[in-house]
Amino acid sequence: MTTVTKEAHVPAPRGEGDAGAFLSVRDLYVHFDTEDGTVKAVDGLSFDLERGQTLGIVGESGSGKSVTNLSILGLHNPRTTEVSGEILLDGQELTGAREKTLESLRGNKMAMIFQDPLTALSPYYTVGRQIGEPYRKHRGASKRETRERTIEMLDKVGIPNAKQRVDDYPHQFSGGMRQRAMIAMALICDPDLLIADEPTTALDVTVQAQILDLLKDLQQEFGSAIVFITHDLGVIANVADDILVMYGGRAVERGSVREVLRAPQHPYTWGLLSSMPRLGGDVNEALSPIHGTPPSLLSPPPGCAFHPRCGFVDEVAGGLSCSADRPVLPAGRGAACHLTAEQQSTFFIEQIKPRLG
Amino acid sequence: MLRFLIRRSLGAVVILLIISAVTFFLFYAVPRDPAMLACGKNCTPDSLAVIRKNMGIDEPIPVQYWHFMVGIVAGRTFAQGDCPAPCFGYSFANQDPVWETILDRFPTTVSLTLGGAAVFLFIGLGAGMIAAWKKGTIIDKAFSSFSLVLSSMQIYFIGPLVLALVVYNMELLDQPKYVPLTQDPGGWFMGLLIPWCVVQIIFTANYTRLSRSSLIEQLQEDHVRTARAKGMSSRYVFFRYAWRGSLIPIVTIFGVDLGSLFGGAMITEWTFSLPGLGTLAVKSVQNTDLPMVMGVMLFAATFIILFNIIVDAAYAFIDPRVRLS
Amino acid sequence: MSRVSIRSARAAAAALAAGALVLTGCSSGGGGDDDSKDSKAKKQGQDVSYTFADAAASKGPAPEVKGARKGGTVKILQRDSFAHLDPGQIYVSDEGALSTLMHRRLTNYKKVGDNKYEVVGDLATDSGQKSNDGKTWTYKLKSGVKFEDGSEITSKDIRHTIERKFAPFMTEGPTFIEEWLTGKGPADARKELPDGPYEGKHLPKSMIETPDDQTIIFHFKQPQAEVPYALAMAGYGVVSEKKDTKQKYDKKPLSSGPYKVASFKSGKSMKLVRNPEWDQNTDPQRNQYPDAFDIQFGVSFEDSTKRLMSDAGENQYATSFTNQVDASSMQKVRTDADVKKRSVSGYQSYVSYLNINNDRIKNKKVRQAIAYAMPSQSIVSAFGGSGGAELAGNYISPTLVGKENTDPFGKLKKPQGDVEKAKELLEESGKKGMKLTFAYQNAPEWQNFSVAAADNLKKAGFNVQRKDIIADTYYDQIGKVKNNYDIYHNSWGADWPSASTVVPNLFEGRQIQDGSANYSHHNNPEMDKEMTRIRAITDPDKAAEEWQKLADKILKEDVPALPMHYYKAIQLHGSKVGGVYFDETLHDIQPTSLFVKK
Repeated sequence: MTTVTKEAHVPAPRGEGDAGAFLSVRDLYVHFDTEDGTVKAVDGLSFDLERGQTLGIVGESGSGKSVTNLSILGLHNPRTTEVSGEILLDGQELTGAREKTLESLRGNKMAMIFQDPLTALSPYYTVGRQIGEPYRKHRGASKRETRERTIEMLDKVGIPNAKQRVDDYPHQFSGGMRQRAMIAMALICDPDLLIADEPTTALDVTVQAQILDLLKDLQQEFGSAIVFITHDLGVIANVADDILVMYGGRAVERGSVREVLRAPQHPYTWGLLSSMPRLGGDVNEALSPIHGTPPSLLSPPPGCAFHPRCGFVDEVAGGLSCSADRPVLPAGRGAACHLTAEQQSTFFIEQIKPRLG
Repeated sequence: MLRFLIRRSLGAVVILLIISAVTFFLFYAVPRDPAMLACGKNCTPDSLAVIRKNMGIDEPIPVQYWHFMVGIVAGRTFAQGDCPAPCFGYSFANQDPVWETILDRFPTTVSLTLGGAAVFLFIGLGAGMIAAWKKGTIIDKAFSSFSLVLSSMQIYFIGPLVLALVVYNMELLDQPKYVPLTQDPGGWFMGLLIPWCVVQIIFTANYTRLSRSSLIEQLQEDHVRTARAKGMSSRYVFFRYAWRGSLIPIVTIFGVDLGSLFGGAMITEWTFSLPGLGTLAVKSVQNTDLPMVMGVMLFAATFIILFNIIVDAAYAFIDPRVRLS
Repeated sequence: MSRVSIRSARAAAAALAAGALVLTGCSSGGGGDDDSKDSKAKKQGQDVSYTFADAAASKGPAPEVKGARKGGTVKILQRDSFAHLDPGQIYVSDEGALSTLMHRRLTNYKKVGDNKYEVVGDLATDSGQKSNDGKTWTYKLKSGVKFEDGSEITSKDIRHTIERKFAPFMTEGPTFIEEWLTGKGPADARKELPDGPYEGKHLPKSMIETPDDQTIIFHFKQPQAEVPYALAMAGYGVVSEKKDTKQKYDKKPLSSGPYKVASFKSGKSMKLVRNPEWDQNTDPQRNQYPDAFDIQFGVSFEDSTKRLMSDAGENQYATSFTNQVDASSMQKVRTDADVKKRSVSGYQSYVSYLNINNDRIKNKKVRQAIAYAMPSQSIVSAFGGSGGAELAGNYISPTLVGKENTDPFGKLKKPQGDVEKAKELLEESGKKGMKLTFAYQNAPEWQNFSVAAADNLKKAGFNVQRKDIIADTYYDQIGKVKNNYDIYHNSWGADWPSASTVVPNLFEGRQIQDGSANYSHHNNPEMDKEMTRIRAITDPDKAAEEWQKLADKILKEDVPALPMHYYKAIQLHGSKVGGVYFDETLHDIQPTSLFVKK
């Protein structure tokens, strides 16, 4: 760890369209104080996102993907959380912004769809009321306008009989309908940025596909930028333009969907791909999950956080040590790995790809 | 809802039957003779027999129980006169009709109980809310330690203390007393102020802690985060989303606490010499006054059961999931 | 009666069953101060005097109370509600105090000086004229005595008052007059008029005569010396023949005294207001100063003591008929000058006894050993020390006429018990190490006592087994003739200031039966013969002297039970209440002289 701290502070180079990126996250650190010590949930993260684009963030649970997005919205607990770095939304600085400012942006310019639509909706109020709330608040709409807009939104996300269902309580909705309601809630103010945190994880496959289609359609209609968080590369392939792979609070690989899925460079990404079942794959062939457990964020492994689980540590040459030197993620397409580009390409083609079938 | 009510009522009847049987037979488990107590200094076997007959205790105990239970439903005739249903008979100690005595005492206990509940819910929930809102601050810690101190107090200790201080030494308030609300609302309020403040002490601390922890838990709920993500203000989120959810465990505990609230009211009545069901119950037990003991027990039990049904209905009010499923 | 609120109510109820509570009777002690210096003088039995008064002394009105004025309301704090308002059902002291304000009788007690009382005519013109060797007693009614409905009280009402006590529903009042008239025990006496007067029958003229509306004549089977005492009991308060509602009368009686019931909520409150039909010129004892009495029930001894000690707000206008200072506050009441001046105190008629089961312990030396070993002081302390109790030397309460301060077992000199002597006697008896079952009521005062007593008995060489009995059933248990206990305590009080309602009840052989007061099962024909002899003495003072002698003789020669302590009481009143004194005939504050100060 000692040797890498300096490197970690090297500002990550900005992508193309430097000034124009709609959402720009630079050097984001999110640390929680707990009784056991400081949890480094996000540890120096940078990425950009353009309007109308979708960024998929992939990683295991605890990789820092959800925390990143909560801190964009400013939903972390300010008493116990330390956030540094910068988050620019349409040029506006969000880290350290006043709570009032954030309140006026949340649900309005930026909105979020949460993972579990059952717990994420309050059981005590009707679906309609919960969807309409941000519209009333941000748009100053009357009760009637709000209701009309709510019904319109429910209609748009494909809730049949929206006029009646608007007065239902969440527990009267099915899981898929609830997620649609969540989407309606997030989109009611036409947000420029939509963060979807595993929006389909809790749903069965057919519903999953419907929701994903819905999101795509709505993006086309509203032109929002979407951050799509998932641990499922299969889902990402469907919706995202770019992919950011996170591990242990850091980004380990970045690239377009095509690049990352066709020619992944980081051994962790290989692992993610291998652990994913394929349609048409041999059912008798065992999946190969990544062995070991995700790193502790209290005391992450020194060097490359992935090295305890990596099968290619011994291949690294050039005096670099995976357990001592932390690899840096290059700007643009690339991976934070000490393997050379040739090694990466060779290992993937020779050892990993055949297993993916 | 109707099915709910029918089911609960049937359950209540069964519980009351059990309570009545247990009370009745426990009363006779100790060898005692209420007739002996009612018989004067120059008691003779003949006058004892007369008293036993008047009291209706000259028959085998199960038969007495049967007559007693039938009397509640259908009424009975005693030497003192006709006793229409619901007939709990006449007091062994002073020949008062039990049912009328209970109805006469009931308003005192209800005023004390509900007033005390209002005080401790108001203070407890309020303090819990402030503590949760200011979680981790000096205020929160001060509230927590204060509620710890309060919860170690006892009515029979704090009651006389408050009385000595407020009434006897500083003479700020008059002797606590019960004035019917219908007769003089101001007098009712002033007369019960001290008892209310005393009966609440054993509960307020609990409700402060419960309200605080329940709110803190609710504040970590996903739906609360969702509401914040919608841009709703912290205040709005706190009251509309977190607080409402935090009421569920409080209502649950309140239902459970009703019994002890009655118990607390009894001690409070005794402490301040208020003529409620509590003092009536204690006196009746002392006087070996079976009809009165039975009457008060069943009445209090009915009331507690009824109140529990109301509490359960309150769930439905707070939580639509209960209402509609 | 103990003074520990919750338990004492139970104890009182239990004691009532055993007959420990009495209403009339009287006392010699009293006065505000009872510190050791003057209490000795007050113990002098000779000081008590009761005179059967003539017509002149029986005339109204009662003397004015110094400084008294009319008006105002006195607040009365009472622990227990009144169970009975029908005078025929009244025996206990709470209702007795009330009855002095409401119910007039043929005779009544009147205080004429320190320790000096007269039995005066109340409804009657005098305390009674006896003839035929004391077998016939004649009373003439005053004119102008009325019930609250304005109807004149006649001799027919008096006869009705007596006759209704034969009815089956009358179960709780005294039965002396009925027994004397019929010459039978209480159970058999009722058979003379099984339905009472309600089926149109009356007692024969050989028992009661009413030759005119003013005259009533009692014909007793035996000579009776103490008729004026008996008729002064609240239980013989007058009941209207025309307005008698039988059982219902207990809730709504007709008043004949200076106050009548305006409202009564059992267990909560009672309001008494002036009875305009009462004529003070006919009443030698009662005054009518306050406009009203406002009685609150359910006020424990602790609570009333604290309220009255504070003298705050409305408590200034408060006092109590029968609530006493609770044992825990006694010290403060006796030392705090401000509180002390608002206190009155005196003797009650009760005496506590340690009974020795004579059926089980037949060896006199063993009984003597037990008597010597008993630490009487520990029970005095348990009752609050000298404010609540006094060491007893013999069976006779200081409230009784003829009381002597004899002390055959040296209890006054050795209040902690004489263990050496006890040891000696036990060894002489050859029963050293014998098992002794000691039953006691599980109230705190008796528990404390039992520990100290068992300790002494062990030292003396007994193998003591303590047996704790719950308060409500205690008297039922020890009242069984065939009980399994060797020693156990009880309390007993006289009905009037003569030992004639003490010695026979406790020690007469024919009394032995389940539930009777002869708990020791003492049965000595020689002593019984003495009792019969003394009963026939028609001079009350002479009889009193003989009762004391006999009581001492029984104690010394037979040792059936050991007297332990005489009960005393302290009561308080608010600073705005005047005319307060401790009446030794009621053994409580006398309600009829109270007034509200300006």
